[in-house]
Amino acid sequence: MANENVLIIGGGAAGIEAAKGVSAMGYKAILVEKRDRLGGTPDEEKYAALTPDLRNTTEAFAELMAPIVDNPLVDIHYNTLITGAEGELGNFTIKALQLGNEVEFNVGSVIIATGFKHFDPGRETQKYAYYELDDVITLTDAEKMLSQHKFVRPSNGEEPKRICFIQCVGSRDRRLGNEYCSKVCCGISSKQSIEIKKLLPDCKVYIFYIDMRMYGYWENEIYWPAQEEYKVNYIKGMATEIVKKGDKVLVKGEDTTFRRPMEVEMDMVILAVGMEPSEGTKQMAKIFGVNQNKYGFIETTGGCLDTVSTNVPGVFAAGATTGPADLEDSVSAGAMAAIKALTAIRSLAVPA
Amino acid sequence: MPIDKSQIFEKESVEVEGVTLTAQWNRMFEQRVIFDYDTDAMDKVTAVKGAESMGWCYQCTQCVPVCPVEQAGGDYGPRKIFRRLQMGIDLFTSDDLWKCTTCMNCLRMCPKAVDMIQIMPAIREESVLEGNVPDELQEVFEKTFEYGNPMGESQRKRADWVKDAGVEVPIMKEIKRSVDILWFVECYPAYHNRGKDAAAALAKVLNALKVDYGILGTEEKCSCDSQRLAGETGLFEEFAEHNIALFRKYKAKTVMTMDPHALNAMKHEYPKLGSKSKVLHYTTFLAPLIEIMDFKKELNYTVTFHDPCYLGRHNGEFESPRKLIEAIPGLQLTEMGRCKQQSYCCGGGGGGMWLDGFMADHVNERLSENRVREAVETGADVLVVCCPYEVSRFEDAVKSTGNEGKLIVKDIAELLAEAMDL
Repeated sequence: MANENVLIIGGGAAGIEAAKGVSAMGYKAILVEKRDRLGGTPDEEKYAALTPDLRNTTEAFAELMAPIVDNPLVDIHYNTLITGAEGELGNFTIKALQLGNEVEFNVGSVIIATGFKHFDPGRETQKYAYYELDDVITLTDAEKMLSQHKFVRPSNGEEPKRICFIQCVGSRDRRLGNEYCSKVCCGISSKQSIEIKKLLPDCKVYIFYIDMRMYGYWENEIYWPAQEEYKVNYIKGMATEIVKKGDKVLVKGEDTTFRRPMEVEMDMVILAVGMEPSEGTKQMAKIFGVNQNKYGFIETTGGCLDTVSTNVPGVFAAGATTGPADLEDSVSAGAMAAIKALTAIRSLAVPA
Repeated sequence: MPIDKSQIFEKESVEVEGVTLTAQWNRMFEQRVIFDYDTDAMDKVTAVKGAESMGWCYQCTQCVPVCPVEQAGGDYGPRKIFRRLQMGIDLFTSDDLWKCTTCMNCLRMCPKAVDMIQIMPAIREESVLEGNVPDELQEVFEKTFEYGNPMGESQRKRADWVKDAGVEVPIMKEIKRSVDILWFVECYPAYHNRGKDAAAALAKVLNALKVDYGILGTEEKCSCDSQRLAGETGLFEEFAEHNIALFRKYKAKTVMTMDPHALNAMKHEYPKLGSKSKVLHYTTFLAPLIEIMDFKKELNYTVTFHDPCYLGRHNGEFESPRKLIEAIPGLQLTEMGRCKQQSYCCGGGGGGMWLDGFMADHVNERLSENRVREAVETGADVLVVCCPYEVSRFEDAVKSTGNEGKLIVKDIAELLAEAMDL
């Protein structure tokens, strides 16, 4: 008889929602998390508020995970790393390391929800001087500050008077190998602009962009309020270089609509870094033998109509482990994966 | 950093290393690198009530290609103004402030509702108060204030056209009773030679149709809608209150006017100042009366029709003028490419009527010339209009574009009177 338990790897938004779905349908979910707490990257990187609704991240995630905490149908294993997998749909044996001890899980199907990591702007090129200049930071660095309700120049601790965001750092770039759009950065930059203007109403905020990609409601929920209510200045043109000038940073680039070079001084620059597959995602792909796309994300097989099935029967993937995703995508895919994982197991049952 | 005009060189020609560069080329020597995005210029504009939406542009640039000033070589359009503001230009003192005719073609296209129809008068009002107005426009404001009309004609002569109308035109002060239709004649039909022709023609048509109407005669003052859009809000309100008091005095339920600009003021602005009178353009009033019009002559003209911005785009009336044109026996209507919602501005709105000298420095051709060329291309003999600004503008443009003898300009009222043999 098939094992009806579902193993979920990763305790972020997609994994939490998948565990909720499996347990809500009356089956056992085994949720494995490498850290000692749930919440995934938004928690690990200390996001201040969610995009697009600016809800407090801690509160929103507490609400998201409430149904699986102390739920008898959800076993949560913290500090646990998956190390090997054998078997097939209906009968997988999964090996793991839990604080140095080997453990084993027997499950019928698996959902990989190991997510993404933020692009490291210093990795391939130094064009944005991220590692050279203290006042050049990333969206994630900014989130950490904003979650503490402050926003200051790392170089001197003073409140900045002029800051700018630079979009598409590490995304839409063939030379870096990341040809895709990371989908969320335009929204997050706009969201952070609003948060910064709330903290520092006199600070001038600029966003240099190729094109603003604010799909669906993000257009009216973040982009338009940022521009219309918070007077964020959107300037079409990519910055190409950042250099130090006195105690400021000089942003060089082209103002596309005026077709003129620009060299503007800023107190701080925030690089809108994109998404790349996390180490966990790459490792799980190897352990389970699931295909990865050329960027290293797990490849799903059903195109736009099935966003969670992989080439291995019984192994599913959900959320940013399959490519750039916002929270809306991640929880949707998490719930979808729960349904697919259970229907796959149930399809093995011999009709009475 | 605001653009320092002293740093911008544009000479007729300069010589650089033995090479002569014409004006177009030596513009290359203006400041080429952008060193700052000073938000003060934009903030100053968006802080003005009514001008908030100037800051909403996201540079999609759908407005620029439909801007009539841009099409006449004016390097203009809301997207461009937004960018210039981002670059620190002071709109309050810039020539850009006076180029907009408030034709509303940009707003028709704008996905973010950047509303030049609100922005322009709001900023212009501030500049008018500061005295930053082109001289020719200031002169018109002063004439309007002093004489009640922008031409500076005597108020006592406002009803003189009636003497040459060929029919009796009832004047409210004389008939001393209320009428079904209070005809607000407005300045150009009352004073301008060709305007008077149209007014007389309309009087004949109204008499033939036995309409119970009257005019305000020497009591009437300019509706001032274009002065309002050019920034003279105070003058507008003063005159509006004067006219509204007359509507009240003569218990006018329905006001009819030949001027779409007056229509616009009376439909949207006068109610805010207490007017209860309904207002109709004369084409809207006449279209339902086609059945009782007794056409005696066939007019064998091919015509094309110019939609006035303030009748069509601003007030949604596209059909009544066409119904009247199509009802006239013999007339063959051929539309211009830019018609109805897409109609091209004659250049007269929003103060443009009085800024031809100023505009000449900023465009390659008058907007009216651009339009007349389009009308000629349709092969029409007659350019049909129903806004009193247009007869004079287009007749001048017919001459200046060398199309005299090819195209004549007629008001719909004139064609109706001619076909009814009045």
